[in-house]
Amino acid sequence: MSKKSRKLIRATPAADAGPAVPVAVPVPDEPERTFYFLPDAEPLPVDEKDLHAEMKLWRHGRATRTIGQVIQDSYVMLFSVVMIGAMATSVVLRAQGSLVGCDTESCVSGRLLLPTATLFACWALALGLARLFGPVLASAAEGSWLMDAPISRRRLLRGRLVPPLALSFGIAGLATGLVGALSGLTWLQVLAWAAAAAAGSAALVAFAASEQPRERVVVTKALQAVFGAAALGVLLVVVSVAAGWLPGSVVSEAGGAAWALAGVAAAALVALVVLLRLAVSRLEQIRRARLVSGGSLVSGMQGAMFALDFGLIRDILVERRMAEKGHVRPTRGAGLGLMALVWRDVERLKRNPSAFLGLAMSLLVPYAADALRMSQLNPLISGLALVAGLVPFLGSLRVLTRTGGLARSFPFKTAQLRTASMAVPAVLALLWGLAATPAFIGIASTGADRSVTNGLGVALITALAGLFGAVRWVTAKKVDYQTPMMATASGALPPGLIFNLFRGLDMVLLVTGPLILQLPMYWSLGIAVIVFVGLRGSFNMDDLRAEQEAAQRDLAAAKQAKAAPTKIPRPGR
Amino acid sequence: MARKTPVLKVTNLKKAFGPVVIVDGFNLEVAPGEAVALTGRNGAGKSTVLRCLVGADRPDDGTVEVNGVPVSETNPQIRRDVATVIDDLDFFPDLSVVEHLDLLARAHGIPDADDAVDEVLQEVQLVPQSGQLPGTLSSGQRRRLALATAFIRPRKLLILDEPEQRLDTEGVEWLAARLVAERARGLAIVMASHEPMLVERVATRIVRLGDRAEVLADE
Repeated sequence: MSKKSRKLIRATPAADAGPAVPVAVPVPDEPERTFYFLPDAEPLPVDEKDLHAEMKLWRHGRATRTIGQVIQDSYVMLFSVVMIGAMATSVVLRAQGSLVGCDTESCVSGRLLLPTATLFACWALALGLARLFGPVLASAAEGSWLMDAPISRRRLLRGRLVPPLALSFGIAGLATGLVGALSGLTWLQVLAWAAAAAAGSAALVAFAASEQPRERVVVTKALQAVFGAAALGVLLVVVSVAAGWLPGSVVSEAGGAAWALAGVAAAALVALVVLLRLAVSRLEQIRRARLVSGGSLVSGMQGAMFALDFGLIRDILVERRMAEKGHVRPTRGAGLGLMALVWRDVERLKRNPSAFLGLAMSLLVPYAADALRMSQLNPLISGLALVAGLVPFLGSLRVLTRTGGLARSFPFKTAQLRTASMAVPAVLALLWGLAATPAFIGIASTGADRSVTNGLGVALITALAGLFGAVRWVTAKKVDYQTPMMATASGALPPGLIFNLFRGLDMVLLVTGPLILQLPMYWSLGIAVIVFVGLRGSFNMDDLRAEQEAAQRDLAAAKQAKAAPTKIPRPGR
Repeated sequence: MARKTPVLKVTNLKKAFGPVVIVDGFNLEVAPGEAVALTGRNGAGKSTVLRCLVGADRPDDGTVEVNGVPVSETNPQIRRDVATVIDDLDFFPDLSVVEHLDLLARAHGIPDADDAVDEVLQEVQLVPQSGQLPGTLSSGQRRRLALATAFIRPRKLLILDEPEQRLDTEGVEWLAARLVAERARGLAIVMASHEPMLVERVATRIVRLGDRAEVLADE
């Protein structure tokens, strides 16, 4: 026993020291509690089918409208779909009619190669999206509540394979079929291309699903790169044949290719069945984290989609990619003030070389458009392609526009910050314009026929239009639901929501509009100057309001001083 | 003794969100070297007051001036003088910890940016994370980075909203010592906090707010 304990014992009164005096010690009232424990019995086996049925029942219970009511409410949308469908069909039939006389090398190569490029692009896209989302996914709630239970993941999740497979099959088939139809292929040939694209995409998604439980992405990534490169290569061949750099004989007969594609479709269907069985058998080992990440991504993107905020969708994807990357080799900056911001953007170019691939692909568009006899619309089409190519280079502008906290940290005016963030993309746009100049002068015998100066001018204006479109797209503000709403057939909508659909497109259309309408070039230049002044935030409403308030305060102070009786100091005696 | 010219002067500040009045007639003057702690229960309007002070929210009425200049979020003079750490911890997703500090130091024209960055990184104990992207930092590390961005740049007024949030005990100790040193160098500080130790050590004045940011006590 320690000394301290002994001391304590001695300090307490001994039991026989005298008669015990009863002391009333307050005892806290313990509330009576009852506890429930599970009965000592083995839990019954869970039927995943029943679980699914119950979840379906809950969801139905939450529904507030019937399908009939939804269709009734969205009649405007349905009407629009029917109208657009009719227009698309008419365009396809007209294209088929006009392409009957297509006998030049560039025209024939375009007919054959554009659907092939679309097919490869669909395959690459299917793999990319499958890798991004899962393809098998579960919501965060399902991850928390269901995955803990002793249930068979294979039985619970196998139904989840159907939507990605169906989507990839349908979208790839439709897209390739539509491009084939627009290119003037016969209906049988269209069917062969569409079937190959659809079955191939579904098989590739099934392959990604079979790799998901193993958490392997190397082969998926490699295949995606191969198909992406193939799409790019095919587009290059279209341009090269049109420009006369390659003989038209490199392109074989469309009929023969159709038979080959039918074979590809059959092989892909067999692969789909085999890979699907493999994917289902591996579902049991899938990790919860791998399932839920795709689900969270979908729910985040759904939220952004409801606000038609495509920039936010991109933000979510960028955040996710960066979180996966986690770590970079830090580089020190250079320069002071605004130069430091510009230099950091230069450093970003080295860090993100894949963005150049998109820019390079966008450079193909003006050449392809010229080769396909779309010279009149070339500035608009190429400008839009450049918007997509330049967006990845406008990361700092995007963050500084969207996040007030960061912008507040920099000691510059909004216009200065924006101009500095546009500097590097502007140089890239200029280079793009120079590289695209031959396309605007005219490479194909059927394309544009402009002078060198004129072609250079059009190319540079198109580059400016693409830059401004990209800047407009990334600087889009969040939709403000506090503003007065517009009444529409789909309910009340904030006006900003509708404008989100046209962000970027509006700038390209404004700047290239005069070129399309064959007005003198200085019209486009004049509009470009006005657009630039607006986009760099020279007319920042907050600044203007602050200046107005300051002026009002000065005026009020001056009025007050005038109204106050003037005191004349008495001369000292 | 003559009172120093205030760095921050808030007069009759009013702010409402729809029909709900959050701040109604708030006044405050903060002199250089003074640290004012805003305290009060949740929903008293502390954060709204701070957001109006930095220009993140526009007041419905009243004025906020820093060194005689009306506060506007976009005014470069205000951006130069006021360092803030309020609830929105925003970072570039593709820049590492060290690159954020480097960029900010250079943007503010710090002559020896590299040295300054190294010193601040060590102080906030983020040296091992210097190459990490913000998305992978823990919430406490993100808070340290946010505080570092306020300390890497010149400032005359520091506005902090619950800066102790998500910091560990050692971190709160460091923050208290740092803010005391800032105050001693003549910096004006306005912070909202629920951490008694931080308030006690740092604040020269404690302003207790009631409903609608009514000043219940200024001691």
